[in-house]
Amino acid sequence: MADLAGFEARRAASAAKGLWRGFGMNCYIEACGIAPSALVGQLGARAGLFESATVRVNATGGLVVMTGSHSHGQGHETSFAQVVADMIGIDENMIEVVHGDTANTPMGMGTYGSRSIAVGGSAMVRATEKIIAKAKKIAAHLLEASDADIELKDGAFSVAGTDKSVAWGDVTLAAYVPHNYPLEELEPGLEETAFYDPSNFTYPAGAYACEVEVDPDTGKVRIDRFSAADDFGNVINPMIVEGQVHGGLAQGIGQALLENCVYDDNGQILSASYMDYTMPRADDLPFYDVDHSCQTPCTHNPLGVKGCGEAGAIGSPPAVVNAVVDALQRGGKNVTHIDMPLSPARVWAAMNG
Amino acid sequence: MYEFELVKPATIADAAAALAGEDAQALGGGQTLIPTMKQRLAAPVTLVSTAGIPDIQGVCTDDDGRVCIGGATTHATVAAETAASYPALSGLAGMIGDPAVRNRGTIGGSLANNDPAACYPAAALASNATIVTNTRAIDADDYFQGMFTTALEEGELITEVKFPVPEAANYQKFVQPASRFALVGVFVAKYSDGVRVAVTGASEEGVFRWTEAEAALSASFSADALAGLSVPADGMIGDLHGTPDYRAHLVKVMTGRAVTAAS
Repeated sequence: MADLAGFEARRAASAAKGLWRGFGMNCYIEACGIAPSALVGQLGARAGLFESATVRVNATGGLVVMTGSHSHGQGHETSFAQVVADMIGIDENMIEVVHGDTANTPMGMGTYGSRSIAVGGSAMVRATEKIIAKAKKIAAHLLEASDADIELKDGAFSVAGTDKSVAWGDVTLAAYVPHNYPLEELEPGLEETAFYDPSNFTYPAGAYACEVEVDPDTGKVRIDRFSAADDFGNVINPMIVEGQVHGGLAQGIGQALLENCVYDDNGQILSASYMDYTMPRADDLPFYDVDHSCQTPCTHNPLGVKGCGEAGAIGSPPAVVNAVVDALQRGGKNVTHIDMPLSPARVWAAMNG
Repeated sequence: MYEFELVKPATIADAAAALAGEDAQALGGGQTLIPTMKQRLAAPVTLVSTAGIPDIQGVCTDDDGRVCIGGATTHATVAAETAASYPALSGLAGMIGDPAVRNRGTIGGSLANNDPAACYPAAALASNATIVTNTRAIDADDYFQGMFTTALEEGELITEVKFPVPEAANYQKFVQPASRFALVGVFVAKYSDGVRVAVTGASEEGVFRWTEAEAALSASFSADALAGLSVPADGMIGDLHGTPDYRAHLVKVMTGRAVTAAS
């Protein structure tokens, strides 16, 4: 991805313009998908870190997922609906994801720590499994077969080895209009809740590479190329994962090159507004090359997912700093480290220190 | 911000009359004044908008070939309408802030405020522009008197700025990464009678002329002429974006780049 073979040619082209090109890379692994409650309790946490979901199926076959996770840019409305749609074999448009409404959702612990798909998604899977188990009993009654012989595929329940089947919508209607229904054994309705406490953290990992051009006269750093390869386990929605990584990269690059909270000796904050606190802007950032084709499933949650919300911010700062240090060393400067942010003034000071 | 009255005169005379009132303040694009009022660091009782005075809007060329810009002309208009007549000035105006800022901010407002990191003061000083007010005309060399300080009297309004057009010129701006004001901005202008070099963003006194560089460049207009010259770090601004040494260093770098770009 990083085309290391082409680096020397690019370096020479930069040098012809009076710029020093550098290459930096970084491998990372993180523990996220927080968290096993008992373990974090031992570590001093005062809360449980389970997640929750209530899945309520309507008579018409549409359903509502009420999740303890919250979506504020992570796209759960899409990815969570995809998971449930795949499990049942119905269209995603039949699924509504409700979050952030404490009157409606079960007790949840929230969205952070790259935990929503790994923990919130797993709770939702367990609730949906309960739904499917009950729906199979209803289908078995409708098809006059035994529960164990019922299969669910592509939104239809069938008797194994036969072509006898009943559609998802007929089963859901039967749950709420229980005229032909095993009322002695089964309550009407189709709504289930699950709370999921993970047995471990998840451990996404990746390798990032960055190429920069440094202007030796001013210390200004420009990122020319950025490649990010991450193993997030199974990927539910590739576009959303890419978007999560993009956002993380912007934050990590911002930390590496731009953002700085500065106080004077009297404790007075000097970077008190965006006139002095440098937020990354689009033209500070390159087009990214992002890859998540390496998908080693997580071994301990039902979706085999690891979470991806923070990875971009974790892997990128070292790659950027390594690239700048490499550029300076290729320029003959004996620099092995610069504290972030690598603002032009600080890079120049490191070069001339 | 505190309550104020907004008046929008249609003539320079009406504006001058309104500005003679107590606690009256001229309002150009408001790009500095409005945020200042929102922080309650300024509380004029009357704001006198210049946006409704046609006589002080627009760009033209006078009989002496000077580019004349009305005090209430926006940066966007300057960038568009001086592109042919004074490209370096057009380029400077086009790099101020962002498109939203350029659609509101005015040259009169910028020069009246004299922010030590603003761009227009460098252009005005390098061009030895004439700042025309409702009462007199002031040479740029006499106009800039320190950080946020100018020769303007109370209630005096900039109606026009006249720029002699140089043979060659260029403005190089090294941005402060957060505000994208000039950390150091250098305007180099070559006239038949010599070169002028005006520096903004660097000095605690605001915009200044680097006279040593002017002499060297007047003798030989090339970046090599600056070899061995430097500005002292003493008196340069030091803040979280750069030390005085760094700014002093950038003055030389940006001057050299402006000369090369102008050649």
